[in-house]
Amino acid sequence: MPPPSGSPRPEPQKPILSVAGLSIALRGRGRETSLVQDVSFSLSEGRTLCLVGESGCGKSLTSLAIMGLLASPPLEITRGEILFEGRDLRALSARDRADLRGDRMTMIFQEPMTSLNPAFTIGDQIAEAVMRHKGGTAEEARAKALEMLKRVRIPAAEKRLDEYPHQLSGGMRQRIMIAMALVNGPRLLIADEPTTALDVTIQAQILSLVRRLQQETGSAMLLITHDLGVVAEVADEVAVMYAGRIVERASVKDIFDDPQHPYTIGLMGSLPSLSGREERLATIPGSVPAPERMPKGCRFAPRCPFCIPACTEAQPPLLEVAPGHEAACIRAPLEQHVTEAA
Amino acid sequence: MLSFIGRRILIAIPTVILVSIFVFTLQKLLPGDPILVLAGEERDPQVIELLRAKYHLNDPLPIQYLAWAGQALQGNLGVSLRTGVPVMQLIKDKLPVTLQLAAMAMCFALLIGIPAGVMAAVRKGSAWDYGATALALWGLSIPNFFLGILLIFLISVQLNWLPASGYVPLSESVSQNLKTMIMPAFVLGNALAASMMRHTRSAMLGVLRQDYVRTARAKGLLEPRVILKHALRNALIPVVTIGTLLFGELLAGAVLTEQIFTIPGFGKLIVDAVFNRDYSVVQGVVLCTAVGYIALNLLADVLYVVLNPRLRTR
Repeated sequence: MPPPSGSPRPEPQKPILSVAGLSIALRGRGRETSLVQDVSFSLSEGRTLCLVGESGCGKSLTSLAIMGLLASPPLEITRGEILFEGRDLRALSARDRADLRGDRMTMIFQEPMTSLNPAFTIGDQIAEAVMRHKGGTAEEARAKALEMLKRVRIPAAEKRLDEYPHQLSGGMRQRIMIAMALVNGPRLLIADEPTTALDVTIQAQILSLVRRLQQETGSAMLLITHDLGVVAEVADEVAVMYAGRIVERASVKDIFDDPQHPYTIGLMGSLPSLSGREERLATIPGSVPAPERMPKGCRFAPRCPFCIPACTEAQPPLLEVAPGHEAACIRAPLEQHVTEAA
Repeated sequence: MLSFIGRRILIAIPTVILVSIFVFTLQKLLPGDPILVLAGEERDPQVIELLRAKYHLNDPLPIQYLAWAGQALQGNLGVSLRTGVPVMQLIKDKLPVTLQLAAMAMCFALLIGIPAGVMAAVRKGSAWDYGATALALWGLSIPNFFLGILLIFLISVQLNWLPASGYVPLSESVSQNLKTMIMPAFVLGNALAASMMRHTRSAMLGVLRQDYVRTARAKGLLEPRVILKHALRNALIPVVTIGTLLFGELLAGAVLTEQIFTIPGFGKLIVDAVFNRDYSVVQGVVLCTAVGYIALNLLADVLYVVLNPRLRTR
């Protein structure tokens, strides 16, 4: 797979994570419903890839599959390959994967309110991650936890170590989750909608905190979001998902300046603008097809204003439309059709 | 925390008073007259009148109650109308026997019920889960007396492993005591083990779905630690509370078990007292049981708060 390019930054080295042809299905009662199909992307050291799409498009499933946290059964990886630091994760034993989790690759979840165990103190929960992977005494782990709390800017960190999650606000809890995820210095951080559940003012703080810590530690980040504002702020590269497939992949600049897939264009259209004076937000007509009733051709075809008969016949492959810019649309680039129509 | 316990105790006091009034009046409503029992075969009206006066049975009921309650507060529950032994003494003799039986039954229920419930939840839908569920259904539906008789027949009569009945005090011989108590404890704890298993299973199933369990896995913790530390710690909160309340039911269930295995405990004391219309003993025992129940409720409330940091005040 060609590494994404087109970014103004110098081309980074080897990919730390590469996902190829990943498919995930829900298996049960003799039926198999495909939820994620043929997802491929790669992520290099120190870079940030945003996986964008609306809820239910399979972006969280993809991230859980990378972490090895899919609820299996009933969810299962049906095909594909996940390479992390050159190792095929699917070939590893459960024990080896657990050794990577929380150490080399870590994850922050969407719901800070429920992601911490209510029965244990903050210090205990962070120190536990340290002791699991780095060993050492409880005192050393606690010191490490304290240092990490200070790095995520928790006020009165010393006191917080002995507090329980319910004594903290949502924003504080997400900082704790970030501290827990970064305490062992991971090479890959997966953040699944880390700011969605938070107040708008807190969102920006958390986002810049994650960004800063990521730059300090030089780890790669896979950020799952539906928020294009977040994408514009932190992404180097973007992969747009729709109904379980990647429909467009490009550098962040190309995605915003020159989106090629009609779905991406639709997403941009539904982005509220501070300067604009539109009467109402643009929406994409129709709704996402249910996983068990996927159209045979392009999954976006029923909602697409550019749809032609050929679109409904076969699934369009992800093809390069410009250097480092791929789109799964047989009509791309679209400018010509827009000018034709005009 | 202390103020919470204090508040709970204050709430418990009116409950105890109500219960004592209830126990007192219920006794008055029961058919049968203890004076007739005491008066013997002849039932000389003069003797009867004398006895009524002696026990203040001609006073108005509220006066009778206050006199009884006042004495009870000082630890005097009267004397057995049959034997003349102080009721408090009877309770002191018999209660430890039943408490030991109930404690053993509880240990048995916890040792079987909690691990079985955890396994059933972790392996939900497996043969283990269905097996444990079926066993729990059996445990809940088989009556104590039937299981008791069945075990006596199998283990005592056929195999001759354990004595069928009788009781040796703990102070006399620990091993002999355990030999006589183990079968009754199994019989008594059987249903409790089943319900502990069901409660543990459903609490675990709820907890295993929680986000923080996923977080524990995301930290790289291995499954035993995820389940035994992060999940079980939370699942045990309701289980411990329910277990404490069910312990009270064990004391009630002991009545039947003690009859089957002829163990001279609390249950046997109350049954004998009821048959003999031994007023003061029945009153004392019922009051004692009710207070025990209220105390267990209090303990369950306190444990719930102790185990659940969210309910603790800062």
